[in-house]
Formats: sequence, structure tokens, C-alpha cells
Amino acid sequence: MSGDAPAGAPPAGAAAREGREGRAGATRGWLEDRLGLAQLEQAFLGGTIPGGASVWHGLGSVAAMLVVLEAVTGLFLAAFYAPSVGSAWASVAYIQDQLWLGWFVRGLHSFGSSALIVVAGVHLLQALLYGAYRRPRELNWIVGLALLGVSVLFALTGYLLPWDQKGYWAKLVEATITGSAPVIGPAAQQLIQGGSGFGNLTLTHAFAAHAIALPFVLFGLIALHVWLYRRHGPTPRWTLTADAAAARATPFWPDQAARNAAMGTLAILIVAIFAIARHGAALESPADPASSYLARPEWYAVPLYQLRMYFEGPLEIVATMIIPGIATAFVVALPFLDRAPSSRPTDRPRVMAAAAFGLVALAVLATVALVKDARDPAFAKARLEEQAKADTARRLAKKGVPPEGGTAVFRNDPMYHAREIWDERCAGCHGLVGTGGDKGPDLKGYNSRAWIRGFLQNPDGPLYMGPAKLDKGMRPVEVAPEDLEALVEYVYAESGAADADMARAGLGRDLLAKRDCDTCHDFDGSGENDGPNLKGRGTLPWVVGVIADAGHGLLYGDKNKMPKFSAKLAPTEIEDLARFVLALKRGP
Amino acid sequence: MRSRIAISPNVAMALAEKTTEARRAFLAILTGGLGAVIGGLALVPGLGFLASPLRRPTVRGAEQPLRVASEAEVKPGKPLRVTVVGQRDDAWLRLDRVTVGSCWLVRATDVAPVRAFSTVCPHLGCGVDWNEKTGKFDCPCHASSFDLDGRCLGGPSPRGLDELDLQVEGRDLLVRYQRFRNGTGKKEPIG
Repeated sequence: MSGDAPAGAPPAGAAAREGREGRAGATRGWLEDRLGLAQLEQAFLGGTIPGGASVWHGLGSVAAMLVVLEAVTGLFLAAFYAPSVGSAWASVAYIQDQLWLGWFVRGLHSFGSSALIVVAGVHLLQALLYGAYRRPRELNWIVGLALLGVSVLFALTGYLLPWDQKGYWAKLVEATITGSAPVIGPAAQQLIQGGSGFGNLTLTHAFAAHAIALPFVLFGLIALHVWLYRRHGPTPRWTLTADAAAARATPFWPDQAARNAAMGTLAILIVAIFAIARHGAALESPADPASSYLARPEWYAVPLYQLRMYFEGPLEIVATMIIPGIATAFVVALPFLDRAPSSRPTDRPRVMAAAAFGLVALAVLATVALVKDARDPAFAKARLEEQAKADTARRLAKKGVPPEGGTAVFRNDPMYHAREIWDERCAGCHGLVGTGGDKGPDLKGYNSRAWIRGFLQNPDGPLYMGPAKLDKGMRPVEVAPEDLEALVEYVYAESGAADADMARAGLGRDLLAKRDCDTCHDFDGSGENDGPNLKGRGTLPWVVGVIADAGHGLLYGDKNKMPKFSAKLAPTEIEDLARFVLALKRGP
Repeated sequence: MRSRIAISPNVAMALAEKTTEARRAFLAILTGGLGAVIGGLALVPGLGFLASPLRRPTVRGAEQPLRVASEAEVKPGKPLRVTVVGQRDDAWLRLDRVTVGSCWLVRATDVAPVRAFSTVCPHLGCGVDWNEKTGKFDCPCHASSFDLDGRCLGGPSPRGLDELDLQVEGRDLLVRYQRFRNGTGKKEPIG
């Protein structure tokens, strides 16, 4: 447009504009002198892509963007995370379930790391296909492999940090594998776990590596990788001669940059979708060294896990070190082994075949492992149990985790606390596992038909009132089997059991007078007699009453020998304890 | 197919350059926009997450009156320093018995009731000591001093010592421990 304006006659306002531009230009010049912006721009955005811009040349950029995503989200997470055995799980549960958007940031960080390994893997395959490892880019191939290795180290140190079952057990297996290495094994194991065993130092070491040391190494290697890339330029497609590639070259900015940005946006959107769909990253129940956990590695390590299955005993090292070691050595040495005349894949049949074999082997191993677990009902059951346990732990963590941390969160469960009270106050007299109590009944299966039937048949038996050594206790109920079942059903129905057969319970109710039960028992909830009033026997309020004061007239009265706990326990503790006792119907 | 309007090669080149220019500008804006999307996706939720402590308190507890001493322990004219032990939620942790702070129990005369003052100096938060010789509370950091009624006698403190709610239950003294904003003339509870 400026070409159309007649020379020497600037339109009105041009002078003012020129003045502004002049000032802006002066500012730019001032900054340029001091910062070298043009040079900086040239360093970051300059250069051309021989053969033209392409998504294939953007994979490294996408990996770099994911690295930045990891760095940013990691920084935010570090502001809320505490690397100690007492606090690690609790702080992650706090991030995941209590802080605003904590789950999303954690999800971005976790799925971002998986995305990074995927993109880095595709980037590596692209370099392999294009022959980008060949002269003069041998060193950049090796730097790229080192970057992939560092990414894996990030993952290995990262998933331990929540100190949940998955992180704990997977890390334990890795540490043990390290320890099995010849000569240096035991020392190496102690170094990576930060001491003689798993504990606080394991977490502080893993955190220092993950959040401080590895980022330095990673950014150093990325700088080297980019420097070497800028020095030698991208490798054009093998179909183009050098002249054709030069003729079709496009500038990096903005042609390639736009492609990179589009791919990076897509990658991060996918990560965000995963984070939202899975509501953050998984957090299993707190690490419990006493449990038996079905440990499975992260997805990228599944092929190695499966490979190990084929090598037992002393041969195990073949799968854990020798085969992975040889494969790694081969990939690292590839630029020096490949003597092909050109980058054309057909000129490098052995490299292509080896790569295809490697990919197929990884895929087959992973598929075998996943199919085996998918077909294993025990595996599915263990996963469901773990899920339920994790849900419980995370629900209980919202009440605050005790300072011991980790599994101490289960103490927030009233049942757990009730069990502690039981051990302290009740276990001295009562049995819990069906072997009989020292001074009172065994409550295993309490309120079940079997327990009631056993009681009626032999009230003074070793599992019932026998150990209490009552003076003139209840006599065995000696009636026809169908009458016994009716009485059992009556008592069962009184306990509030939802599956009671009310018709049969009614028959039992009618038998009470006929069989002289009413000599000692009342059934109306108000009469006080030698034996307990049977109205509502075994319901929650009834059991609460027994624990509070078993010597009440409606209960055991003068025959009672059980201490009165209303003065020793808080009302809420008594209720929790009663719920604990009632839950014994289904087993301890 | 041949074009019916003849275009001189110069104009054609200028047009091609202009389309390239427009395309480049479009790509540059697109790249910048996508860059903002990427940055926003990582930074906006992250900053929201970082700001989440502004939405809810992270440290809470000891809101109930807690037993600190028995009434007979507090002698006239001899302030008694007691620690307040109670329950506390600290981010993910729940601590059932932890020292949450301390206070001075003061009985000015034989007939006066016992009062409780926070040991936190309202100036910049140091702990005030009882000076037996002068019969005053002194702050060791910036030399504010207070009398038995908590009134500021001198020094930089903007207000007197903060009195805490005190209840007498039977023989026991119960204090509801609170912290207040320092450095202002007004006594404002925190949290």
C-alpha cells in the first residue's frame, strides 16, 4: 500500500505516527543494544526446515512442552507435598481430595508424565526411521536416549512419592532387583533406597532426585540436545535429495512453529481430558508393609515385568539386566553399527528389522501380561478390594490423619477404634475367634442363627456362659428339632435381622410359654425377671445397654458378672463397640 | 486453463508475496494463541490450586475452653504462666494433644477474679515475660511493658495484652485460646 502513495506527500497524521514509531523504535533500539533481542529471536525462532515444515519435525517440541507442563505442575505440587513416611500419603490425599483443583494439577502431572514417555518414544522411532542418528548426528542420538532414560528415572522416583501401596511395592521390587546385581548390587540398593531399609530417607532421597537433581540433569541435556539439533538441523525425509530438500525448505517461524503449537495443544488437551475423566491421578491406600499386595509396574514397564516371568531362579538376572542391557547397548551403539550407504529405510534392512522385532516383542510381552491379568478373577478381586480400601482410607483422611501417618488413618474408622477398645477392655473375658472366652461368651458369629442355636442347646457350654461360671444359669433347651428352629428364628428376629422368617419366628414366640421359657424370661420389654427380657434382644440399643450396665433389671440383673462400662467409656465409644460386636455376625 | 485477464508477472509476484505475508501473519497469531492455551492449561488451574489455602483455613483447633490450671494455683500478684494443650488440625494432620500456645493467669488482689492474658506481645508477636522486680510484664524483643491488668505502660506495643476468655468450672480454670492480629490497635481474632 505504501508503494501507491505519491512520494514526498505524506498524508496528515503521518508525522505524529512517525514520532510514535520513532519513540517505539528508540525503545526497541535501547533494548536491542542491551538484550540482543534479534539474536535471541534468531536463536529461538530462526532457521529453516529442509524439505518443508512437517508434524514429524515437531515431536521434540511437543516433548519439550510436556516437560514444561511437568515442571510447572510439579512446582505447584511441591508446595503442598511432604516427603516423610508420616506425611507423604496424607499430604497427597490432602492435595487430591481437599485442596481446590489439587486433583487436576496432580492429574496433569501424572498423565503428563505418561504422555511424555509416549511422545519421546514416537520421537525416537521417527529419528530411527529418518536415519537421524547417522553421521553427523551420532551424539545427538545418544543425548536423546539419555533424555529418555532421565524421563524414566523421573517416573521411577515420582510414583514412589505418594507412599501408597502401588508406589511402595513397585519400588520395593525395583530396589530388590537392583540389590540382586552382581558385586555392586547391595550397595546400589542401599543408595537408591537411601539407607538399610525402606523409610523416611527413601522418600527424602527420591524427592531430592525427582524435584531437584533430575530437573538439573534434564534441562542440561535438553539444552545440549537443542544445541546439537540447531547445529546440524533437522534430518529431511529420505525421499528428498539434498538439493530438493533445500529448494522446498520453509522457515521455522511460523510454519513449523504453528505445527508444533497445534500438536502441543492437542497433547496437553489429551492429558487434561485424562486428568478430568479419571479425576486426577490414582491414589491407592497407604503403604502397608504388613499387607500382601499384587504389585504391578507402570504401563511402560509391563513388558519387562512379563519378560521376567520366563526366567526363574538364578536366570532371573537375564530378564532384569542382561536382555535390557544388551538392547540398550545396541540402541546406543546404533549410529556406529549402521554402515548403510543412505538413510533410505530399504538400505537399512537390518536396522529396520531389529526395530520392528523390538516393537513387536514389547507389544507381545505387554499383551500377554495384560490378558493374563484380565482373565484372572483373583486379580480382579484383589483390585476391587484395594479400590475399596483406598476409598475408605481417603474418606477417613478427611477427618485428619494422625501424626504416625499412613495406615494410622484407619484409626479414624469407628470400627477400628472399637477394636482397640475391645482389645483393651473386653478381650480379657470374651472370645472373638470361636475358641471361647476366659470369663464370658465367645462372640464370634454373635446373633447368627448358628450362634443362637448353639447357645440354646448348651447355654453353659465353653463358647457361651460356661466360662462365666454362673450360679443357676440357663438350662439347655431340649425340644424337637423343628421347635428349636422356631425358637432360634424367634430370637433371630428379635435381633432385628432383615432376613428373619417371621412366620417361623411367630411359631417360636408361641412356644415360649409352652416350653417354660417364661419362667425366667419376659418378652414385653418391661418385665424384670431372672433372665434378660427378650424384647429387642441383640439389637443395637440392647447391646449398648448390656455394655453400659449388664446388671440392669431388664438384662442379667443379679446374675450379672460383667463390669458396668457406662462409667468407663464415653457413650459414643459404647455405641461404636456395640456396632463392632454386631458386625461379628459376619465374622471378625 | 488460461486466464482471460492478463496479469503482469510483477503484480502476480506481489500478490503471491502478499498471500504469503497474510499466511505467515495468520500462523504467527495462531501459534501465539495456541501457546496461550497451553500456558493457560498449566498455569490457571495451578495458580488456583496454589491459592486454595485462601479459600479455607489450613490450621484449626483448640476452639473449646481448655483446662489450664486449678484456681488455687494462681496467687495474688504472682502471675502464673501456663501452656494450653489441645487438639489441632494442621493441613492433613490431626494432632490430639499438642501445645497450641500459652497464657499468663493473673490475680491482681486477694479479692480480684483470675484473668488470662495471651503471652503474645501485640506488637510483633514475641512472648512477654513477668518481671518479678518491677512487677510488670516485659517484652524481651522491643521492650514494651504491661501492668497486671494488661495495660500497656510503655514501648511500641499498639495495645495492651490480649485477654482470653476464661471460665471457672469447679476448681478448674478453662481458657479459650485465640490468636490475634499483631501490630494494630484493634484486637482482631485470626482464623
